[in-house]
Amino acid sequence: MNRFVVPPMPRQARRPQLRAVSRFLAVLICCGLAAPAQQITQRGNTSASFSTRATHLLGFANARNNSTGTLSVQGDSLQFQQNGKPGEKVKIALVRDVFLGAESKQVGGLPMTLGKTAAPFGGGRVVSLFAHKQYDTLTLEYVDADEGIHGAIFQLTKGQGELVRNELIARGVTISSHQDQPTKESAAGARHENK
Amino acid sequence: MKTSKCNLSIAGLIALVAITLALPRQLPGQTGAAKSSGGNGTSATRWSVQVGQVDPGNLDLAYSFQIAIYENLVEEFKKTKQFPQVFRDGDLKTSEVPNLLVLKTTVEKYTPGSENRRAVTTVSGATKLTVRSQLLTREGKVVLERTVNGDVRFFGSNLRATQNLARNIAKTIKQSQVSGSGQPTAILTGQL
Repeated sequence: MNRFVVPPMPRQARRPQLRAVSRFLAVLICCGLAAPAQQITQRGNTSASFSTRATHLLGFANARNNSTGTLSVQGDSLQFQQNGKPGEKVKIALVRDVFLGAESKQVGGLPMTLGKTAAPFGGGRVVSLFAHKQYDTLTLEYVDADEGIHGAIFQLTKGQGELVRNELIARGVTISSHQDQPTKESAAGARHENK
Repeated sequence: MKTSKCNLSIAGLIALVAITLALPRQLPGQTGAAKSSGGNGTSATRWSVQVGQVDPGNLDLAYSFQIAIYENLVEEFKKTKQFPQVFRDGDLKTSEVPNLLVLKTTVEKYTPGSENRRAVTTVSGATKLTVRSQLLTREGKVVLERTVNGDVRFFGSNLRATQNLARNIAKTIKQSQVSGSGQPTAILTGQL
Protein backbone atom coordinates (compact mmCIF):
# COMPACT_ATOMS: atom_id res chain seq x y z
CA MET A 1 0.00 0.00 0.00
CA ASN A 2 2.62 2.29 -0.98
CA ARG A 3 0.71 5.16 -2.48
CA PHE A 4 2.25 8.10 -4.16
CA VAL A 5 0.29 11.09 -3.16
CA VAL A 6 0.73 14.31 -5.02
CA PRO A 7 0.67 17.07 -2.58
CA PRO A 8 -1.78 19.84 -3.43
CA MET A 9 -0.25 22.89 -4.95
CA PRO A 10 0.01 25.75 -2.65
CA ARG A 11 -2.40 28.60 -3.35
CA GLN A 12 0.46 30.97 -3.98
CA ALA A 13 1.97 28.75 -6.65
CA ARG A 14 -1.34 28.30 -8.54
CA ARG A 15 -1.92 32.03 -9.02
CA PRO A 16 0.55 32.65 -11.87
CA GLN A 17 -0.94 29.75 -13.83
CA LEU A 18 -4.46 31.05 -13.33
CA ARG A 19 -3.39 34.47 -14.34
CA ALA A 20 -1.84 33.17 -17.54
CA VAL A 21 -5.01 31.20 -18.39
CA SER A 22 -7.26 34.14 -17.66
CA ARG A 23 -5.08 36.45 -19.74
CA PHE A 24 -5.19 33.98 -22.64
CA LEU A 25 -8.98 33.75 -22.33
CA ALA A 26 -9.30 37.51 -22.22
CA VAL A 27 -7.23 37.84 -25.38
CA LEU A 28 -9.32 35.14 -27.04
CA ILE A 29 -12.58 36.86 -26.11
CA CYS A 30 -11.28 40.20 -27.31
CA CYS A 31 -10.27 38.71 -30.63
CA GLY A 32 -13.63 37.06 -30.95
CA LEU A 33 -15.44 40.31 -30.39
CA ALA A 34 -13.13 42.28 -32.65
CA ALA A 35 -13.45 40.02 -35.65
CA PRO A 36 -17.10 40.78 -36.52
CA ALA A 37 -16.47 44.43 -35.83
CA GLN A 38 -13.65 44.37 -38.33
CA GLN A 39 -15.90 42.66 -40.87
CA ILE A 40 -18.48 45.37 -40.44
CA THR A 41 -15.91 48.07 -40.98
CA GLN A 42 -14.75 46.32 -44.14
CA ARG A 43 -18.26 46.35 -45.48
CA GLY A 44 -18.73 49.96 -44.44
CA ASN A 45 -15.44 50.96 -46.03
CA THR A 46 -16.40 52.06 -49.54
CA SER A 47 -12.91 51.71 -50.97
CA ALA A 48 -12.89 47.95 -50.39
CA SER A 49 -13.46 45.93 -53.56
CA PHE A 50 -16.23 43.49 -54.32
CA SER A 51 -16.18 41.09 -57.23
CA THR A 52 -18.22 38.30 -58.76
CA ARG A 53 -18.28 36.22 -61.92
CA ALA A 54 -20.65 37.55 -64.56
CA THR A 55 -21.56 37.31 -68.21
CA HIS A 56 -21.72 40.62 -70.02
CA LEU A 57 -24.71 40.44 -72.35
CA LEU A 58 -24.52 43.90 -73.87
CA GLY A 59 -23.84 47.59 -73.48
CA PHE A 60 -21.10 47.96 -70.87
CA ALA A 61 -18.46 50.40 -72.14
CA ASN A 62 -16.39 48.65 -74.83
CA ALA A 63 -16.70 45.15 -73.43
CA ARG A 64 -17.50 42.37 -75.88
CA ASN A 65 -21.09 41.14 -75.89
CA ASN A 66 -21.79 37.70 -74.41
CA SER A 67 -18.39 37.52 -72.75
CA THR A 68 -17.66 36.04 -69.36
CA GLY A 69 -15.48 37.79 -66.82
CA THR A 70 -15.33 39.39 -63.42
CA LEU A 71 -17.65 42.19 -62.42
CA SER A 72 -16.14 44.17 -59.59
CA VAL A 73 -16.76 47.30 -57.63
CA GLN A 74 -13.41 48.98 -57.10
CA GLY A 75 -13.14 52.32 -55.40
CA ASP A 76 -15.37 54.72 -57.28
CA SER A 77 -15.87 52.61 -60.37
CA LEU A 78 -17.61 49.50 -61.60
CA GLN A 79 -15.32 47.29 -63.63
CA PHE A 80 -15.85 44.35 -65.92
CA GLN A 81 -12.75 42.40 -66.78
CA GLN A 82 -12.69 39.60 -69.31
CA ASN A 83 -10.23 36.81 -68.73
CA GLY A 84 -6.76 38.08 -69.54
CA LYS A 85 -7.92 41.39 -70.96
CA PRO A 86 -7.81 44.92 -69.54
CA GLY A 87 -10.97 45.83 -67.67
CA GLU A 88 -13.65 48.24 -68.81
CA LYS A 89 -14.65 50.81 -66.20
CA VAL A 90 -17.63 53.02 -65.55
CA LYS A 91 -17.68 55.48 -62.69
CA ILE A 92 -20.31 54.62 -60.10
CA ALA A 93 -21.29 58.28 -59.92
CA LEU A 94 -22.46 58.01 -63.54
CA VAL A 95 -24.75 55.04 -62.82
CA ARG A 96 -28.30 56.33 -62.71
CA ASP A 97 -30.29 53.23 -62.01
CA VAL A 98 -29.97 49.54 -61.29
CA PHE A 99 -32.61 46.92 -62.06
CA LEU A 100 -32.66 43.35 -60.99
CA GLY A 101 -34.42 40.57 -62.85
CA ALA A 102 -34.39 36.80 -63.10
CA GLU A 103 -34.47 34.48 -66.04
CA SER A 104 -34.36 30.76 -66.61
CA LYS A 105 -31.96 29.76 -69.35
CA GLN A 106 -30.75 26.60 -71.02
CA VAL A 107 -27.22 25.62 -70.07
CA GLY A 108 -24.44 24.43 -72.34
CA GLY A 109 -24.61 27.07 -75.03
CA LEU A 110 -24.33 26.27 -78.71
CA PRO A 111 -22.53 22.89 -78.40
CA MET A 112 -25.23 21.60 -76.10
CA THR A 113 -27.97 22.93 -78.39
CA LEU A 114 -26.41 21.16 -81.38
CA GLY A 115 -26.04 17.99 -79.37
CA LYS A 116 -29.66 18.10 -78.29
CA THR A 117 -30.78 18.69 -81.85
CA ALA A 118 -28.77 15.73 -83.08
CA ALA A 119 -29.98 13.37 -80.35
CA PRO A 120 -32.36 10.72 -81.78
CA PHE A 121 -35.94 9.97 -80.68
CA GLY A 122 -36.41 13.39 -79.14
CA GLY A 123 -33.79 12.72 -76.52
CA GLY A 124 -32.63 16.31 -76.76
CA ARG A 125 -36.01 17.55 -75.60
CA VAL A 126 -35.86 15.37 -72.53
CA VAL A 127 -32.40 16.75 -71.76
CA SER A 128 -33.77 20.29 -72.21
CA LEU A 129 -36.35 19.58 -69.51
CA PHE A 130 -33.58 19.36 -66.94
CA ALA A 131 -30.73 21.35 -68.49
CA HIS A 132 -31.78 24.78 -67.39
CA LYS A 133 -30.62 27.16 -64.72
CA GLN A 134 -31.99 30.25 -63.03
CA TYR A 135 -29.93 33.41 -63.44
CA ASP A 136 -30.08 36.95 -62.16
CA THR A 137 -29.99 39.74 -64.71
CA LEU A 138 -28.55 43.02 -63.60
CA THR A 139 -29.49 45.97 -65.78
CA LEU A 140 -27.60 49.22 -65.35
CA GLU A 141 -28.41 52.62 -66.74
CA TYR A 142 -25.54 55.07 -66.87
CA VAL A 143 -24.55 58.23 -68.69
CA ASP A 144 -21.38 59.11 -70.59
CA ALA A 145 -19.43 62.37 -70.54
CA ASP A 146 -21.95 63.95 -72.95
CA GLU A 147 -24.94 62.85 -70.83
CA GLY A 148 -25.87 60.26 -73.43
CA ILE A 149 -27.77 57.37 -71.86
CA HIS A 150 -26.22 53.91 -71.95
CA GLY A 151 -27.60 50.60 -70.78
CA ALA A 152 -25.76 47.46 -69.79
CA ILE A 153 -27.02 43.99 -68.97
CA PHE A 154 -25.14 41.38 -66.96
CA GLN A 155 -26.10 37.81 -66.23
CA LEU A 156 -25.07 36.53 -62.82
CA THR A 157 -25.48 33.42 -60.74
CA LYS A 158 -28.70 33.45 -58.77
CA GLY A 159 -28.33 35.58 -55.66
CA GLN A 160 -25.26 37.48 -56.86
CA GLY A 161 -27.27 40.22 -58.56
CA GLU A 162 -28.74 41.27 -55.24
CA LEU A 163 -25.23 41.56 -53.76
CA VAL A 164 -23.96 43.75 -56.60
CA ARG A 165 -27.02 45.93 -56.38
CA ASN A 166 -26.62 46.34 -52.61
CA GLU A 167 -22.96 47.18 -53.08
CA LEU A 168 -23.88 49.86 -55.61
CA ILE A 169 -26.58 51.25 -53.34
CA ALA A 170 -24.03 51.41 -50.50
CA ARG A 171 -21.85 53.50 -52.77
CA GLY A 172 -24.56 56.02 -53.49
CA VAL A 173 -26.42 54.73 -56.54
CA THR A 174 -30.07 55.69 -56.38
CA ILE A 175 -32.66 53.16 -57.42
CA SER A 176 -36.00 54.05 -58.92
CA SER A 177 -39.18 52.76 -57.35
CA HIS A 178 -40.06 50.40 -60.22
CA GLN A 179 -38.04 47.27 -60.44
CA ASP A 180 -37.31 44.93 -63.28
CA GLN A 181 -39.83 42.17 -63.59
CA PRO A 182 -38.61 38.67 -64.20
CA THR A 183 -39.43 37.55 -67.70
CA LYS A 184 -42.77 35.88 -67.47
CA GLU A 185 -43.12 32.45 -68.89
CA SER A 186 -45.72 32.24 -71.58
CA ALA A 187 -47.34 29.23 -69.95
CA ALA A 188 -50.63 30.98 -69.68
CA GLY A 189 -50.25 32.25 -73.20
CA ALA A 190 -50.41 35.73 -71.85
CA ARG A 191 -50.29 38.37 -74.50
CA HIS A 192 -49.88 42.01 -73.72
CA GLU A 193 -51.17 44.56 -76.10
CA ASN A 194 -50.81 48.27 -76.01
CA LYS A 195 -53.81 49.73 -77.77
CA MET B 1 -22.87 37.36 -150.66
CA LYS B 2 -19.52 38.73 -149.74
CA THR B 3 -20.71 42.34 -149.93
CA SER B 4 -23.81 41.61 -147.85
CA LYS B 5 -21.65 40.01 -145.15
CA CYS B 6 -19.40 43.03 -145.19
CA ASN B 7 -22.41 45.36 -144.94
CA LEU B 8 -23.73 43.38 -142.01
CA SER B 9 -20.48 43.56 -140.13
CA ILE B 10 -20.23 47.30 -140.80
CA ALA B 11 -23.78 47.81 -139.58
CA GLY B 12 -23.02 45.79 -136.46
CA LEU B 13 -19.94 47.83 -135.80
CA ILE B 14 -21.84 51.09 -136.24
CA ALA B 15 -24.53 49.86 -133.87
CA LEU B 16 -21.90 48.93 -131.29
CA VAL B 17 -20.24 52.32 -131.56
CA ALA B 18 -23.61 54.05 -131.32
CA ILE B 19 -24.50 52.09 -128.18
CA THR B 20 -21.12 52.80 -126.62
CA LEU B 21 -21.47 56.50 -127.30
CA ALA B 22 -25.08 56.67 -126.20
CA LEU B 23 -24.60 54.93 -122.84
CA PRO B 24 -22.26 57.45 -121.24
CA ARG B 25 -24.48 60.25 -122.55
CA GLN B 26 -27.52 58.71 -120.91
CA LEU B 27 -25.85 58.33 -117.51
CA PRO B 28 -24.99 62.00 -117.09
CA GLY B 29 -28.54 62.70 -118.14
CA GLN B 30 -29.85 60.47 -115.39
CA THR B 31 -27.69 62.01 -112.71
CA GLY B 32 -28.67 65.42 -113.90
CA ALA B 33 -32.32 64.55 -113.53
CA ALA B 34 -31.69 63.08 -110.12
CA LYS B 35 -29.88 66.21 -109.09
CA SER B 36 -32.69 68.42 -110.23
CA SER B 37 -35.42 66.30 -108.64
CA GLY B 38 -33.57 65.62 -105.40
CA GLY B 39 -32.09 69.03 -105.01
CA ASN B 40 -34.99 71.25 -106.10
CA GLY B 41 -32.62 74.16 -106.03
CA THR B 42 -31.49 73.52 -102.44
CA SER B 43 -28.23 71.93 -101.39
CA ALA B 44 -28.37 68.39 -99.97
CA THR B 45 -28.34 68.37 -96.18
CA ARG B 46 -26.80 65.72 -93.97
CA TRP B 47 -29.17 64.27 -91.39
CA SER B 48 -28.13 62.69 -88.14
CA VAL B 49 -30.25 60.49 -85.94
CA GLN B 50 -30.82 60.39 -82.20
CA VAL B 51 -32.11 57.14 -80.77
CA GLY B 52 -34.62 57.80 -78.01
CA GLN B 53 -35.28 55.52 -75.08
CA VAL B 54 -37.93 52.88 -75.60
CA ASP B 55 -41.40 53.70 -74.38
CA PRO B 56 -43.03 50.55 -72.93
CA GLY B 57 -46.51 52.09 -73.16
CA ASN B 58 -48.93 50.35 -70.84
CA LEU B 59 -47.10 47.04 -71.00
CA ASP B 60 -45.09 45.57 -68.15
CA LEU B 61 -42.07 45.02 -70.34
CA ALA B 62 -38.97 44.09 -68.34
CA TYR B 63 -36.49 46.95 -68.10
CA SER B 64 -33.76 44.71 -69.46
CA PHE B 65 -35.80 44.38 -72.67
CA GLN B 66 -36.19 48.15 -72.99
CA ILE B 67 -32.48 48.68 -72.49
CA ALA B 68 -31.64 45.84 -74.88
CA ILE B 69 -33.85 47.32 -77.64
CA TYR B 70 -32.30 50.75 -77.13
CA GLU B 71 -28.71 49.49 -77.15
CA ASN B 72 -29.29 47.23 -80.14
CA LEU B 73 -30.88 50.11 -82.07
CA VAL B 74 -27.82 52.28 -81.49
CA GLU B 75 -25.59 49.42 -82.64
CA GLU B 76 -27.66 48.62 -85.73
CA PHE B 77 -27.83 52.26 -86.86
CA LYS B 78 -24.08 52.54 -86.51
CA LYS B 79 -23.66 49.32 -88.46
CA THR B 80 -25.84 50.39 -91.39
CA LYS B 81 -23.87 53.65 -91.79
CA GLN B 82 -27.04 55.22 -93.10
CA PHE B 83 -26.66 58.30 -90.96
CA PRO B 84 -23.31 60.03 -90.52
CA GLN B 85 -23.86 60.45 -86.79
CA VAL B 86 -25.88 58.37 -84.36
CA PHE B 87 -26.60 59.99 -81.01
CA ARG B 88 -27.93 58.53 -77.81
CA ASP B 89 -30.85 59.85 -75.82
CA GLY B 90 -29.88 62.84 -73.69
CA ASP B 91 -26.66 63.53 -75.61
CA LEU B 92 -25.74 67.20 -75.20
CA LYS B 93 -23.92 67.28 -78.54
CA THR B 94 -27.24 67.11 -80.39
CA SER B 95 -27.84 70.79 -79.65
CA GLU B 96 -25.01 71.61 -82.04
CA VAL B 97 -26.38 69.41 -84.81
CA PRO B 98 -28.60 71.41 -87.22
CA ASN B 99 -30.35 68.50 -88.97
CA LEU B 100 -31.46 65.92 -86.51
CA LEU B 101 -34.03 63.17 -86.73
CA VAL B 102 -35.23 61.57 -83.50
CA LEU B 103 -36.22 57.91 -83.42
CA LYS B 104 -39.10 57.25 -81.08
CA THR B 105 -39.97 53.63 -80.30
CA THR B 106 -43.16 52.60 -78.58
CA VAL B 107 -43.90 49.00 -77.70
CA GLU B 108 -47.34 47.99 -78.92
CA LYS B 109 -47.42 44.27 -78.34
CA TYR B 110 -45.32 41.91 -76.30
CA THR B 111 -45.65 38.17 -75.99
CA PRO B 112 -43.29 36.87 -73.32
CA GLY B 113 -41.73 33.58 -74.27
CA SER B 114 -39.63 30.94 -72.60
CA GLU B 115 -36.29 29.58 -73.70
CA ASN B 116 -36.97 26.31 -71.90
CA ARG B 117 -40.31 25.88 -73.57
CA ARG B 118 -38.77 26.54 -76.97
CA ALA B 119 -36.09 23.97 -76.26
CA VAL B 120 -38.57 21.32 -75.20
CA THR B 121 -41.43 21.86 -77.62
CA THR B 122 -39.81 23.80 -80.50
CA VAL B 123 -43.17 25.14 -81.68
CA SER B 124 -44.22 27.13 -78.62
CA GLY B 125 -42.58 29.59 -76.28
CA ALA B 126 -41.68 32.24 -78.84
CA THR B 127 -40.91 35.73 -77.59
CA LYS B 128 -42.55 38.33 -79.81
CA LEU B 129 -42.28 42.09 -79.86
CA THR B 130 -44.18 44.61 -81.97
CA VAL B 131 -43.18 48.25 -81.84
CA ARG B 132 -44.18 51.47 -83.54
CA SER B 133 -41.12 53.32 -84.77
CA GLN B 134 -41.34 56.99 -85.63
CA LEU B 135 -38.72 59.26 -87.08
CA LEU B 136 -39.40 62.82 -86.06
CA THR B 137 -37.75 66.11 -86.79
CA ARG B 138 -36.68 68.36 -83.95
CA GLU B 139 -39.98 70.22 -84.30
CA GLY B 140 -41.92 67.02 -83.79
CA LYS B 141 -42.94 66.49 -87.42
CA VAL B 142 -43.31 62.81 -88.24
CA VAL B 143 -41.06 61.90 -91.14
CA LEU B 144 -41.60 58.17 -91.09
CA GLU B 145 -43.78 55.78 -89.14
CA ARG B 146 -43.59 52.02 -89.27
CA THR B 147 -44.77 49.06 -87.25
CA VAL B 148 -41.98 46.53 -86.90
CA ASN B 149 -41.86 43.03 -85.43
CA GLY B 150 -39.07 41.14 -83.77
CA ASP B 151 -39.14 37.65 -82.33
CA VAL B 152 -37.18 34.60 -81.33
CA ARG B 153 -38.87 31.32 -82.26
CA PHE B 154 -36.45 28.44 -81.98
CA PHE B 155 -32.97 28.93 -80.59
CA GLY B 156 -31.48 31.61 -78.42
CA SER B 157 -32.36 33.61 -75.35
CA ASN B 158 -35.39 35.84 -75.02
CA LEU B 159 -33.23 38.93 -75.42
CA ARG B 160 -32.42 37.86 -78.97
CA ALA B 161 -35.89 39.11 -79.91
CA THR B 162 -34.67 42.64 -79.18
CA GLN B 163 -31.68 42.16 -81.46
CA ASN B 164 -33.88 40.94 -84.30
CA LEU B 165 -36.29 43.80 -83.70
CA ALA B 166 -33.54 46.43 -83.82
CA ARG B 167 -32.17 44.91 -87.01
CA ASN B 168 -35.61 44.98 -88.60
CA ILE B 169 -36.15 48.62 -87.60
CA ALA B 170 -32.80 49.68 -89.06
CA LYS B 171 -33.52 47.70 -92.23
CA THR B 172 -37.01 49.16 -92.60
CA ILE B 173 -35.71 52.70 -92.25
CA LYS B 174 -32.97 52.02 -94.76
CA GLN B 175 -35.46 50.64 -97.26
CA SER B 176 -37.71 53.65 -96.75
CA GLN B 177 -35.15 55.85 -98.54
CA VAL B 178 -34.50 57.81 -95.36
CA SER B 179 -30.85 58.63 -95.57
CA GLY B 180 -28.26 60.88 -94.11
CA SER B 181 -28.51 63.16 -97.14
CA GLY B 182 -31.51 64.72 -98.82
CA GLN B 183 -34.67 66.33 -97.60
CA PRO B 184 -36.75 64.47 -95.03
CA THR B 185 -39.90 66.28 -96.25
CA ALA B 186 -39.68 64.25 -99.44
CA ILE B 187 -39.94 61.14 -97.32
CA LEU B 188 -43.32 62.20 -95.98
CA THR B 189 -44.83 61.23 -99.29
CA GLY B 190 -43.79 57.64 -98.67
CA GLN B 191 -45.85 54.99 -96.98
CA LEU B 192 -46.76 55.92 -93.42
